[in-house]
Amino acid sequence: MTRRSINQSACLLVAVLALGLPLVMRSATYLHILILLYFYAYLTTSWNLVGGFAGVLPLGHAAFVGIGAYTSTILYLQYGVSPWLGMLVGGILATLVGILIGLPTFKMRGAYFALATIAFAEGIRVMIENIDRLGPFVINGPRGLQIPPLKLGLSNFMFAVKEPYYYIILIMLAAVLLLTYCISRSKLGYYLNAGGEEPEAAMALGVNVARAKLIAMAMSSFLTALAGTFYAQFTLYIHPKSVVSLDLSFEIAFIALIGGRGSIAGPVLGALLLRPVSDFSRIYFGDTVPGLHLIIFGVVLILVMLYQPRGLQEPLTRLYNRLVDRLAGTEGGEASA
Amino acid sequence: MNILEIRGLHKDFGGLRALNDLSLTIEPGQIFGLIGPNGAGKSTAFNCIAGVYAPSGGEIYFNGVRINGERPWNLCKRGLARTFQIVKPFATKSVLYNVMVGAFARTNSRSEAERKALEVLEYLHFEKHRNSRAGNLTIADRKRLEIARALATEPQLLLLDEVMAGLRPSEVDEMVGVIQQLRGRGITIFVIEHIMRAIMALSDHVVVLHFGQKIAEGAPHQVASDERVIKAYLGDEYVISAG
Ligand SMILES: Nc1ncnc2c1ncn2[C@@H]1O[C@H](COP(=O)(O)OP(=O)(O)OP(=O)(O)O)[C@@H](O)[C@H]1O
Ligand SMILES: [Mg+2]
Repeated sequence: MTRRSINQSACLLVAVLALGLPLVMRSATYLHILILLYFYAYLTTSWNLVGGFAGVLPLGHAAFVGIGAYTSTILYLQYGVSPWLGMLVGGILATLVGILIGLPTFKMRGAYFALATIAFAEGIRVMIENIDRLGPFVINGPRGLQIPPLKLGLSNFMFAVKEPYYYIILIMLAAVLLLTYCISRSKLGYYLNAGGEEPEAAMALGVNVARAKLIAMAMSSFLTALAGTFYAQFTLYIHPKSVVSLDLSFEIAFIALIGGRGSIAGPVLGALLLRPVSDFSRIYFGDTVPGLHLIIFGVVLILVMLYQPRGLQEPLTRLYNRLVDRLAGTEGGEASA
Repeated sequence: MNILEIRGLHKDFGGLRALNDLSLTIEPGQIFGLIGPNGAGKSTAFNCIAGVYAPSGGEIYFNGVRINGERPWNLCKRGLARTFQIVKPFATKSVLYNVMVGAFARTNSRSEAERKALEVLEYLHFEKHRNSRAGNLTIADRKRLEIARALATEPQLLLLDEVMAGLRPSEVDEMVGVIQQLRGRGITIFVIEHIMRAIMALSDHVVVLHFGQKIAEGAPHQVASDERVIKAYLGDEYVISAG
């Protein structure tokens, strides 16, 4: 077997596994956990477009989740607009907000950028928590919004069972991964990486660094908002603490940093490793030690940053490559360089 | 037409006047040298030309167009490229990746950029390092990478800031050869260098800076025997005791 065909087989295997899982795993609880795992992998992959490739550390992406969730939910509840359409509107709104945040903040470096994004997201949360109505739109403050599960079906993005949600988020995740792959190999990807690593050198080579980052931010906020709508339809209940919380922003960043920011596999690996920790600590210690998962994440993050500063994807990729080499080698493929 | 013309250029950093009334003209096809003691303002001049700093006064014309305050990436698109005295590789990326970033200045296609980058690497006898991590290169190779990236942007005017500092004598000779070849390709070169042997061998014309001011200008051998220049480099005592 050649290395290429091994890689293709591996991809196929993962695809078949992901597509077939709901057929064998009938437990709704496990399916729920998996759906959230994909949801976080999707969010982190979207985050990675800015946080990974552009070399900045946004810590307020929950704001975009919230914008997506609230926009489609309000449009559905008050005007009967299909959540699919609302998803798009939320995405566009989030894009505008993302550009608005990016314009002044991309000139800041390091911690200042991170702090500015936190401040902004928290501003939005406090706002949502404290207003009941915004013009004609009912927001309901801290009580949040409930979507009555009356009109089930694909056109209303509402289902009685979990399987459809599973496949929808799986498709969304696959799409955003493919997009990331294409971008990383495009001019924009090169420009983002260059601008993130050595902005001055990049500029001298013709890169408008701020513009590249803004484009990445626009895409990232659009994609993140789509997940917000997904979450609203999946849980049918949103409130500021669930979709605009600092916890959510931090969890995305934790997953990215531990998995490996700036790589394509990193966010997925991070979600695969951390989501179970998060779920099980909530199931078993949720009452006694709420927030335990964040403490565990913190400890894991420290360890990873000390021993694998480029995230767990690096050793895992190396392991995978060695495995492929071994397989290709015994079958008479070319030796590795 | 002159490819670069500078008139009365000033640059102040707070109270410090790093450049004081600098004027010079570079004709197409020249190798133009800029020398001077440490802190004379040479890199500052490059940074003003390349759009990193806005000049505090004076005019800069590139191909007859005033470029004061133009942003670096636009200048690159116009055909002005530069290297950095303190090299700035994209350290976690491969050499090829680094050079492709430059090549993207002229194309949107990845395969075209890759073709272009490989061509530049081959030209600089650098292709065997194409897959090396830029951060792992030796200092000589990092300097070469700076040139490779700048060349990939297809410049008309190339600013080289001390690309020979830290190189072994044999490497210096090689670099002199490379720069002469570039001129053969029709690229005008503006070079800052401390290594006199190199600047003498290369330049058609040399400007000497001292405390931000031009103190001499002319053919290399002319400048080298100028008393003000010797004074600037070696201090007053030398000239007094020698004279
Ligand atoms: N960004 C800056 N802010 C403040 N002062 C600066 C800045 N850049 C340069 N200077 C000062 O301007 C003067 C000229 O510096 P410059 O780097 O242009 O010298 P140079 O001729 O390139 O020297 P060298 O041969 O050491 O590279 C120095 O006194 C330096 O300290
Ligand atoms: Mg200098």
